[in-house]
Parts: sequence; structure tokens; C-alpha cells
Amino acid sequence: MRYPTSLSSRLLPALGLALLLLPGCYSRSDMKEEGGKAGTMTDAILSDNPNTSSATPEMAATDQPLQRVNVLLEVSGSMEGFMPKTAADGGNTQFQQRVAQFLSDVNRTAAAKQKSFFLLKEKPYAESYGNLSTTVRAGIRQPAKSTELPAVLDTLMTRYYQPGTVNVLISDFIYSPKNAGAIPYIKTDITDALQRNGAQADLAVSVYGFTSDFRGTYYPALVATGKKTNCCDTDIPYYYWVIGPSDAVRQFDAALLTDETARQAHFGVVYPRPVYSVLDKFENKGSWYYGDAGASKRAADSYRVVAVSEASAQQPVEFVVGLDLQNLPAQYRELAYLQQNLQVQTVDTDAKLTGVTAATAQTKGSSGPQSRFTHFAKIRLTKVPPASRPLVLKLQNQRSAWVAQWTTKNDAVPAAKTFALSSLLDGLQASVGARPTVFELPLTLQPAR
Amino acid sequence: MKAFFRFLYEIIGNPQPPADTPVYRDVVFPNIGLLNIGLSLGLAVIFYLLINRAMGVATFNKGRHWGLFLGLNALLAFGIGIWQAHSQQVADHSYIYWLATWNAILSMAWFFIFSLLLRKASTNASTTPF
Repeated sequence: MRYPTSLSSRLLPALGLALLLLPGCYSRSDMKEEGGKAGTMTDAILSDNPNTSSATPEMAATDQPLQRVNVLLEVSGSMEGFMPKTAADGGNTQFQQRVAQFLSDVNRTAAAKQKSFFLLKEKPYAESYGNLSTTVRAGIRQPAKSTELPAVLDTLMTRYYQPGTVNVLISDFIYSPKNAGAIPYIKTDITDALQRNGAQADLAVSVYGFTSDFRGTYYPALVATGKKTNCCDTDIPYYYWVIGPSDAVRQFDAALLTDETARQAHFGVVYPRPVYSVLDKFENKGSWYYGDAGASKRAADSYRVVAVSEASAQQPVEFVVGLDLQNLPAQYRELAYLQQNLQVQTVDTDAKLTGVTAATAQTKGSSGPQSRFTHFAKIRLTKVPPASRPLVLKLQNQRSAWVAQWTTKNDAVPAAKTFALSSLLDGLQASVGARPTVFELPLTLQPAR
Repeated sequence: MKAFFRFLYEIIGNPQPPADTPVYRDVVFPNIGLLNIGLSLGLAVIFYLLINRAMGVATFNKGRHWGLFLGLNALLAFGIGIWQAHSQQVADHSYIYWLATWNAILSMAWFFIFSLLLRKASTNASTTPF
């Protein structure tokens, strides 16, 4: 037997070696950044319209409150039917109900520092919140003569268009040019009024359409057809137009006009790019994995690179992209709209969008990353990309079908339609910056290495 | 280092399910690879240098004793494979057991290699296993 001292001295090198080996173990948290990007090609796809979401920040930054909100309520004769004197049975119209609530919401909101209220006659007259609310509830005392829409918009743009300020115009938007010859030029008139010298590059308008019962005299746009007293059996549309710089309109919409039943159309509003990620364990199929650098990190919360090891017609690769669209207006969150207008654009690959679904109770309650998303887009490909290739998920900005349905060329017979509505909106469209897409989400497809 | 272990462990095929590939390549393979080498080296040192040299035990140097250590080594390597995979919370899949088995086989190869290197330094077992 040898002495214990010599024993330990002989074992020391082995012990030391074992100690050296242990810290060599990897964990998810000490992965190094590596791997390439398909950056330039993605830029090429995205750069079609550099003004859109690609340039905007990923998440909605903590928004400053708006400087000012101006609410302008039209009180011409044609609006009287929306705001009749209180009936004997105490009944009111849906317009009174909704607008009174809206005025109250605006008055109380913390989303804007200053709130001003105006009665819109031939020009805006400042009123207190109380007086305006009373006018809505108890009816218009002295209806103004018909107000010309282009003149109103022109006044708005020259006097009330400020950074951080939105103007909310509440009206039936029945625009009756003085002579019938001006009717084909409605679009041009609106554009001219909004963009006199093209100075408001970030102008945006959100249009919300509602209908209400109507008790009073109906003044059609085509004056020659004559007014209708004791109108109407049908509901008549009215609108909120939210006019202001893009950021302010977006903030105001998100804070105060979240009603999903409203018909809506948005012009020139830029939305921040929604949160999105490829999901590797949600309805995935075929041989692929996250190709992002450090994809094994548990802390990473969004993955944008799909590495495909094998794909064929028999064994296609399917992956799901989770989208968090909760900050977009209801129009763009509607499943039917997404199914029609969400598109995949790619180079050199046969990737196709095979479906869009909304979150279910199951996905929301799951412990996986899919619980964070409101919508899911499934993409399928049957060929391994030749090298790193870009894929962009785009939501096209399409005007919804309701605009055409609510438009009429002859409003002599009262109906839930507005004279030349689509021409008015064409005018809005022409006066704001073109936004062909609501958002563009770049992803990368690459062969597995 | 990572590339070497990736080569070594992907001899039996790509990780399954494919979605867990980054975790296996970046974390599990290097971990079990290094632990495996450490384990085989440790057991070889215990057998040749501790038992059959430092402690001078004269009755634990036959081929069957060496075989016992080989088996113990394989068993521990199998356990390490399963433990490391589960501790990274990969999806349950039969691949985990294939990987652990492959790890056990590799551990026997490492043990054999370390045996060749260390046996000459042993007094009582310098000719084990042959």
C-alpha cells in the first residue's frame, strides 16, 4: 500500500482535467451570435414603398397624449332629423345615443390634453362640451344653411391642422354642389380642399360610418328632387371623419374609436409593424427548424428565419407565422379581410399562403408561444430554397366593400346610402400618401446547413 | 467544437423532431459530448490509476473487471443522454432514446481509447484488456 499523500498527488492531474471539462458544457444562454441574413433581397422586396411599415418602429412606442382634439358637429338643416326634439315618449335616435356618448368619451379621455367642441355652420363656432351635448340631445335650435363640404375641409386644413391634433367631423356628408355640373368633380374638389399645396405630407383620414333612425326633413344632395318631410322609415348614414397627421389619427382611433361594429376606411394612416414570429411547434409539418442565430435561446421571442432540410410535393414543409394584430383597426383584424388581402411575396421559392386563422380559446390558453398572437398565417412550400431567400408577408390595403354598398348616384329616395360616397373617399385617397400595404413582415427562407 | 460534436452525433441521422434541431446542435450535442469524454476518462483513471496503481488492489485487474467498468460507463452515458435532452425541454420523441443509445456506444469507444492510453501507466492492469 502506498501513502495517501502520494495517492492524492497522483490523482490531482486527473481531477484537474475533469474540472476543466465541466465548464465547457454549453447552455442555451451562452450561444454566440452567428449566421447570415438575406437582407439585401428582403430590402429589394420591401423598398417598393419605403414609407410604409418597414420604416416604422416594431412596437408601438409609448405614445404621448395628443395635443388637442377638435370635434366639429355639423348643424345644417339636413342634420336635424338625426337630432330631433325629444319625442313625447322620450325616445331618441341612435345618432343622439351614440354621438352623445362619443362626445362624453372625448371630453373625459386622457388620450388628449385639450378638447374643443364646435358647431359647424357656415364656419366652425366654438362651444362648450355641455352646450354641444345639449344640442345633440335636445335638437338643433337654429339649423344653419347647407354647409359646403370643400369649404369646411379647407377651413379645417388652414386653421385647425396641427401636429398632434385631430379634427373629428361629424356629419351626414351629403355633399351637394351648387350646380349639377360640379358632381363629376367631387373627388377633385375634396382633394383640392385637403391638399391645397401638397404641404401636409402626413395627412391621414379615418372614416367611420354608422346608420341611425331619422325623424325630420330629409334634404337630398340633388336639390332638384325636392326635400322629403316627415322622413324616414329607413336608417340614414352619418359619418365621423377623423382628420389629422397620421400618427395622431392612429392614436385617436386606437383610443376612442374601437367599436367593431362601425364601418371603417382609413386613408394615409401608418401603423407600426405588428409583432410576429414563426412558430416551430404549432401546426408545423415537414423538416424545418428556426434558422435564426441563437435560435436555441429560450429568451428569444420572435423568429424570422426558416431553415428547410427537406421538402417535396409528397412531404411539403408547412409553417405558421403568428401575428399580433391587436393594435390595428378592426377592419384589418377581420378574418375575412385578412383571408382576402394577406399575401406572400417571395423570390425563387414556391412558398404559398395556404390559410389565415384567428386565435381560438385553445391557442390563447396554451402554454406555447402561440398564446401571444391574434392571428396565424400558414405557409407551405414544396421545394428547398436554393440559398437564403426573402419572403414577405404583406397585408394589402383595400377599400372594404361597404363603401360601394353605401354609395348611391341618386339619393332622391331616402335610403341607407350616401350620395357619391365613393367619390368623396376617392378624393381622400388622392389627397393622402399612397399606402398600398398595411404592413410588411419580412422573413427568410434558407436551406438547412 | 460544436461542428465536431454535430458530426459525431448526426452519424445516426438528423435530430427529430426537426423543430428541435437548433437546441440539439447548439446545446445538447456539445453537452453530452463533453460529459461523455469526461466520464470515460474518469472511469479509465479510476480503473487503471486509482484501483490498479494507487490503491494497489491486486484482484481487480481481469478482463471481466474491465468489462464491468465498460458496462457501467455505457449505462451512465445512456443516462447522461436522456438527462441532458430532457433538461433542455425538447419535445418527447423516440429520437431521445436513439441518441442516448448512440451516446452509450460512443462512450464505450472513448473508454477503449482511454484504456489504451492509460494502461501502460498502471502497475497491476497494464495488460488489461489485452
